[in-house]
Amino acid sequence: MRWRQFFTPIKAFNVGEAREYIAGRNPEDVTILDVRQPKEYRKGHLPGAKLIPLPELGDRFHEVDPNKPAIVY
Amino acid sequence: MMQDNGFRDVYNLSGGIKAWNGETAVGPAEQGLSLFEGRMSPEESLLVAFSLEQGLRDFYLLMLPKVTSDDVADIFQRLANIEIKHQDRIFKEYVNVIGRAISRQDFEQRTMKGVIEGGMTTEDYLAMFNPHLNSPGDVISLAMSIEAQALDLYQRAAGTADIARTKSLLMDIAGEERGHLNQLAELMDRIS
Repeated sequence: MRWRQFFTPIKAFNVGEAREYIAGRNPEDVTILDVRQPKEYRKGHLPGAKLIPLPELGDRFHEVDPNKPAIVY
Repeated sequence: MMQDNGFRDVYNLSGGIKAWNGETAVGPAEQGLSLFEGRMSPEESLLVAFSLEQGLRDFYLLMLPKVTSDDVADIFQRLANIEIKHQDRIFKEYVNVIGRAISRQDFEQRTMKGVIEGGMTTEDYLAMFNPHLNSPGDVISLAMSIEAQALDLYQRAAGTADIARTKSLLMDIAGEERGHLNQLAELMDRIS
């Protein structure tokens, strides 16, 4: 199966880039979005991360400001 | 998915939470990637949908001998079987849309033409994510990413379909893909 034609690449941060990006902004100016399951979130998550499990994301976009940059994991 | 809903600056954290905790990054996480751009005719949407269902089925069958958990193997087998039903429905709808008879073989040849050019193989895709195949969590997480892509595809295709029955079919398939995603999420919860 050839997959690439199904996906549009988006930007990615490595850990160092993400830390630098977050550190350079006020916490309220960037959304950190955790799309894992609640059990995984409870075991550990980035400080300030908002939990919206991936299966629910399509119905809960209104909970996140689209005008702010978002780091997703 | 997010970019389709108005988010302009979206960044994947490569390697996810594991990398954040200091473990080795395993390449870019693809969750949340948008689907390919451009408007598709209903016919093209169905050809792509059929191809994606085949790819999903191939993926699940490829995973089957590689997982050690009976639970995971069972759900992968069931998901693979469901994709066959999706393909049958897509083919039937394609015939309705073009308004003339076409053999399944000719149809499937058309789908192959559309997906061969310059892409990645499933093995390439696995190598990019590098899931630990003895870790059901890693494998399920990868499957959820792919199901999310499928869900996006059908929602986009439904949004651009000009024919009502095609839109309806694609929305139905999207709903089923959401069901797959929920099944995988429940399985993830059970093993976490």
